[in-house]
Amino acid sequence: MAVEQQTTPQAISPPARRSRAETLAMVRKVWPWVFLVFMITLFTIAARVMNDTNFLSQRALQGILLYTTQILLLGLGETMIIIAAGIDLSVGYILGLSAVVAAEIMKYMYAQGYSPWLVVPVGMLGGILVCIIPGYINGWLVAKIKVPPFISTLGMGYAVFGAALLISGGYPVAQQPPYLGQIGNGSIFYLWLSNGISFFKAPAEAQGPELQNVIPLLPNVVFITILVTIVCWYILSKTQFGQHLYAIGGNFQAAVRAGIRVQRTIILVYVMGAVLAGIAGALWAARFTSGAADAGEAGQLMAIAAVVIGGASLFGGEGNIIGTVVGALLIATIQFGLVVLGMQPFWQFLAVGVVVIIAVIVDQFGRTLE
Amino acid sequence: MGDMQPLLHVVDLTKRFGGLVAVDNVSLDIFPGEVVGLVGDNGAGKSTLIKMVSGVYVPDGGQIFFDGKDVTFASPRAARDLGIETIYQDLALAENLDVGSNIFLGREIKRQRLGGMLHSLDRHKMRAESAQVLDRLEIHVPSLTQQIRNLSGGQRQAVAIARSIYWNARLMIMDEPTAALGVSEQRKVLTLVRTLAGQGVPVIIISHNMQDVFAVADRIVIMRRGKKVAERLASETTPDEIVSLMVGAEAVHEMGVIPKAIPGNGA
Repeated sequence: MAVEQQTTPQAISPPARRSRAETLAMVRKVWPWVFLVFMITLFTIAARVMNDTNFLSQRALQGILLYTTQILLLGLGETMIIIAAGIDLSVGYILGLSAVVAAEIMKYMYAQGYSPWLVVPVGMLGGILVCIIPGYINGWLVAKIKVPPFISTLGMGYAVFGAALLISGGYPVAQQPPYLGQIGNGSIFYLWLSNGISFFKAPAEAQGPELQNVIPLLPNVVFITILVTIVCWYILSKTQFGQHLYAIGGNFQAAVRAGIRVQRTIILVYVMGAVLAGIAGALWAARFTSGAADAGEAGQLMAIAAVVIGGASLFGGEGNIIGTVVGALLIATIQFGLVVLGMQPFWQFLAVGVVVIIAVIVDQFGRTLE
Repeated sequence: MGDMQPLLHVVDLTKRFGGLVAVDNVSLDIFPGEVVGLVGDNGAGKSTLIKMVSGVYVPDGGQIFFDGKDVTFASPRAARDLGIETIYQDLALAENLDVGSNIFLGREIKRQRLGGMLHSLDRHKMRAESAQVLDRLEIHVPSLTQQIRNLSGGQRQAVAIARSIYWNARLMIMDEPTAALGVSEQRKVLTLVRTLAGQGVPVIIISHNMQDVFAVADRIVIMRRGKKVAERLASETTPDEIVSLMVGAEAVHEMGVIPKAIPGNGA
C-alpha cells in the first residue's frame, strides 16, 4: 500500500504542460470556491471585530444553509433552463403562487378539522402541482410559439403574481395549523449534549434551561433541498434528458437534426423549473406558516446570479449543478453575513450585484483569452 | 462495375419551384464502393437533386430506387433510416459536447440502474464504441473527452462522418466537405472519403473544387441549368473538359479562360 502511494504520483506527474485553455477553465471553475472562502474569512474577522460574534458558529452556518435553500431551489431549475439556452424570469413569482396555494389549502383543511397527516402533504403537493401550469405555458410559448424566453417568462411572472394576489386577496395567508411551523423550522437531528440524539423533535425530557443544550442539526428544509439537489444533479449529468439540454443549448440545429425531441425537452425543462419553484414555495409556507404572493420576489434574479457565478453561460450549453450550489452558497453567505454584521438589508442587493458582475467579467475574460 | 446493382438508382427526377425547373429529368446511378463527384455552377441544381435523395424535398416527378426498392421519403429522417446520410458544411455537431456524445447525439446508449428504475447514460460504452468506429476509419482525435470546439475543422468533419458510419450509413452525401479546411486537413478528409469507399460505402461529393473532385472521384456527374449534361470517368477526362461542360463550352471560349490541368488525379 505504502509503496503504491509512493509510486502513483510519479506515474502521473508531471502533467505535460497544461494548455492555457485548460488553465482558464480551471480558474473559472475554482474562483467561486476561493471567493466563498474569502467571504467567510472576511465575515468571520468582521463579525469578531465589529460585534464580537462568532460567524463560524454552528448556528450561523445553519443560517447560511437556510438562506441558501431558496436561492438554490430556484437556481437548480434555472441552471437547466439556462443550459438549454433559455431563461426563466418567472420562478420567483411561481414560488409565491405555490406558497399562497399551499397556505390556502392548509388553512381550509385545518379549519375543516382534517388530520395533520393529510393537511400538510395535500397542501404542499397542491402548491407544487399548481406550478406545472405556468411552467408548461412557459415551455409551450418558448418551444412552440418561439416567443423569446426573456419575454414570455417575464410576462408569465407578472401573470402569476397577479393570480397569486387574487387568490390571497393581497394579504398573507395566515391561520395556518400550528404544527406547520414545527415542520418548516424543525430539524432532522437534535443533539442533546450528554444525552444522545433524537430525530425530528427535541427530546421531550429536555425542559427549560436544558433546551439550551439541545442542538438542532440539519434543518428539514436544508435536508429536502439537499435531496432535491442530488436528484437534479443526477438528471442533468447522468440522463439522456440532461444530455439533450446541453445539446440544445450548444447547437440547436444539431439537436434538431440529431432527432432530439427538442420541443418536448424544452417544455419539460420549464415545467421542472416551475415545479422546483413550487417546492421552494411550499417550504416557504411551512417556514413562515403563511403564504404570500411576493414570497419569492427578486428570487429569480438571485437564482440567475447563482447560476452565472457557478459558471453557466447565458448563451447556453454550459453550466452544472455544483457550480450553482457554490453560487447559491456565496450569495447566501453575503446576505447572511451582512445581517450578522447588522447592516441594513438593502446592502445585500448591492453586494450580490457586484459579485454577479465579477462573475461575468471572469467569464468574459476567460472567453476572450480562449 | 458494370454488372453490379446500383445502390442508388434515380430515374427522371424533377423538381419545380414555381415556374423554375430546378431539376429537370435527371437520372443517376451510384454503385457500391465508388466516389462520385457532383459538379455544376451555382444554381445548376446539384443541391436540389441531393435534397430529394436525402428526403428534404419531395420530387415533382421521377423515381428513386434505393437498394432496388422504390422509395419515397416523407422526411430526412426517413432517408436516414434507410442509410442515406448527408453531411452538411455546418456539420451539425454540438460544440460543447465531447466526441463520444456527438457520435451518439439523440441516440444515446443507456444503462439501467436500480433494477430499471433509473436510466443513466452509459458514457463508458459510448466512448468505447466511438473509439472503435474512429479506429475503423483511421481517424485520429486527440481525446474522446475533448469538446468538439477544441478540435480542428478536419477532425470535426471526421467526427461527423464517423457518426454517420456508426449509424450504418450506406450512402454518404457530402456537401462541399473541404470548403472550410486548410490544405493538409483537406487531404485528410479526402483520404477518409476513399477509406469509406474502400469499405463499400459509396460517397457523393458536391464540390466546386476541381482539385478535390479529381483527387477522390471515380466518376464525375456534371449538371447545368437543372439538367445532367454529362458523366465522365475521372480517369478519362480533364478538369478543362469538366469546366467547359459545367459552364457550357461556348461560354468558356467567350471568357477565354480555361484553367490549366490540375494535379492530384489519383487516390
